[in-house]
Formats: sequence, C-alpha cells, structure tokens
Amino acid sequence: MKLRTGSFLWCLYLDKLYCLLSVRNVRALVEYFRLLDAHRSRTLNDVLFYHFLHHVTNWTRRQIMNVFNMLDWEAVGEIGFDQFYMLVCIVLAHENHLEEQFIFRHSRPVFELLDLDGEMRIGAESFQKYDFLFNIKKHDLREFYRDFDITGDCHLNYKEFKLFTISTMDKYQEKQKEENENEEKKSLLSESTA
Amino acid sequence: MEEKPFKATAKSLSPHDSSKSGSKGDIRNLWTRATLSQPRLNIQLTDVYEDLDPEDSGEDWKAGQWYKQPSSDGGAREGWSQRNAEAGTRQEELDAYTSEELEQSPRSAQRGDVKGLEDLGSKMDFASSVSSVNIMKHTHHRAYWREQQSRMPLPLLELMENEALEILTKALRTYQSEIGRDHFLTKQLQRYIEGLRKRRNRRLHVSAH
Repeated sequence: MKLRTGSFLWCLYLDKLYCLLSVRNVRALVEYFRLLDAHRSRTLNDVLFYHFLHHVTNWTRRQIMNVFNMLDWEAVGEIGFDQFYMLVCIVLAHENHLEEQFIFRHSRPVFELLDLDGEMRIGAESFQKYDFLFNIKKHDLREFYRDFDITGDCHLNYKEFKLFTISTMDKYQEKQKEENENEEKKSLLSESTA
Repeated sequence: MEEKPFKATAKSLSPHDSSKSGSKGDIRNLWTRATLSQPRLNIQLTDVYEDLDPEDSGEDWKAGQWYKQPSSDGGAREGWSQRNAEAGTRQEELDAYTSEELEQSPRSAQRGDVKGLEDLGSKMDFASSVSSVNIMKHTHHRAYWREQQSRMPLPLLELMENEALEILTKALRTYQSEIGRDHFLTKQLQRYIEGLRKRRNRRLHVSAH
C-alpha cells in the first residue's frame, strides 16, 4: 500500500514508540473528518469512506470494503471518528513499516478487529483477509502455529496472539539490529577504502 | 463484538466542542489590550516561547531553545554561546543583531527589523530564515503568535479542504448514479460541496488581497 504523495494523511506521522498520533495531529485529523462529514452525522457512510480511501491509497474496492466491514464493528453502516482514527493509525503504521510495532503495542484492539465473528479467537482466514493491512506473513504464521498454538485448534485466542506479537516484535528488532550492524560495517569499509 | 475495542484518545475532541470559543475569547482579549504599532520589547523572550510545542518544526523548536534564556543581554549571550557547535558562527552574528534590537526604541524596532532581516539574509543561509522568524516573533504581536499556536496552519487547512472537495465530488457522482439526483442525501451533499467551495473561494480571495 502506498499513500498518495502530498495528501493530508501523507503529512501525518505516528509516534514511533507508541504508534499513535500526537495531539496536534489528532486535532488536524478531527478537522479533516469534519470536512468529510458531509451529512453532519459525525460519521462517514460506506460511499464517503470508499472514496476517501480510494483517493488516498492504492487499495482495490474489495480491500476497501473489507476494511470498512472490519471497522464497522457495530454493523451500522457508518464509521465514526474512533474507527477513523484507528484506521489512520493502521494506515500510517503500514506506510512507515511499523506494523510489527503497531500490533505489539495495540495487540488487544487489533485482535478484536480481526476477530470478525466475536468468538474471541482468530483463524488463518482472518489473517489472510487482512494481510495487506498488517503485513502478517504466511510463513511467520505457520511457524507460530507450530510453536505456540497451545490449544491446538488452529485458531489463536488472545494470549496466543499476544505471544505471536511478542515473537514478531523480537524478530523485527533482531532484523533491525542486523541491518544497523551491516550499515555500520559498510560505512567503516567505505571510510577505510577512501 | 460487544464492546468498542479502541477508544481513540481524541474521543473528547468533539468536532462541535464549544471550548474553541473560550480560547478565541482569550485571544481576543490579547488583541484588544496590545497594539501593533508599539510592540512590547521588554517582554521576556521566554514568555513568547512558553507555549512552543516541541513537536513543532525542528528549526523553530531549536530557535525556541535559543530564546529560553534570561532577558538580560549577558544572560542571552551566555545562553546562545551554549548552543550546539553546528550553528556557532551564525549564533554569534544572531547574538549581535538581537542585542541591538533589544536596545532600540519600540518605534524604530519595526523599521530596524526589516533592515536587520535583510542584513541577516546576506550573511546566513539556513539559520537566517529561522532566526528572522524568531526575531519577528519577538518584535511582532504576541497575540498573533498565540493565535497561530492554537489555529490550524492555513496551508494545511487549504490542503484538507481541496482534498475533501475532490473526494466529496467523486462521492456525489456515485450518489447521483446509485440513488438518483433527487434523493435528499444527494441534494444535501451537493449543497455541502457548494458551501465548501464558496468558503474556499472566499478565503482564497481574501488571501489574494
């Protein structure tokens, strides 16, 4: 997914530690939401929501409507500011490659979003349906099921999901550390050859 | 799901929050008490920056740190000399300029302001734009800068309005094709878009003049 360059969301940023917007950014987002709220209902219906995401992202219609269905957790056919804020944080986390951190920091809300039928457990199909959003890779999930599916039902309850986010975060941090070390080595090499 | 999984921290930031009018009232008081022709040069520089948000642009924040010093010249010089070494030379030049500004009379400050800015512009490149903004913050109206802190920056508002107009115009086409032109939602959206366009054009007209 790529955010449209120069769009309003493109100007926002997440706090890298907590993966949330600052108060100033939220204030701007509130104004933006008000502008889009054409019917003065403090919500966006599916048409407005679709055109908004179609304008700012390169998601397909199917992906956009899946996101709408996921966020419309009360099944009222409209999205309020709470859900809009959540969506913006997810989109920005994806844009800035902070998905692992985001899922780690907000494991509960993400779990509840993926738990579409309210059974307090998530199957592989939920992950596959929303892999474009959270960048949860199939092979990571398969490994995890092998190592951490304590109940053995091929579904993750919240505790297992939390373990999954911790293990993904650990792997992400190791990867970052390796990349930093490689970059340092490269810079040292280039300095020594120069 | 029975409960909302995520309560946004902005839930209390209702779009129709009436506290905005309260803050505008405070700013109006500032505007009526002070006058533009006689900026109060004897105000503490720290006061100008007391509300400066560290999340604000990096340059402004660094500049704010320059000014978070006692208002006496000696103290200001000391504070500026403690700044990081990158802007060391520029800092000394800024130091000399600003201490001259403080000594000038209020009436000449604004005239000298422009000359001083021109001089700075020729000496420094990057820091000059930052330092000139902050010198202007000091010498110009405090209420103006207070208002800027609480308002949406105009370029961002323009960006938001333009984008919202594009999105809503496309949505209107969908409404017209799916539910018809005579549906009350279509008409409501159309009126809203027209209102938004008028507001935007009015603002562009005002800023052009």
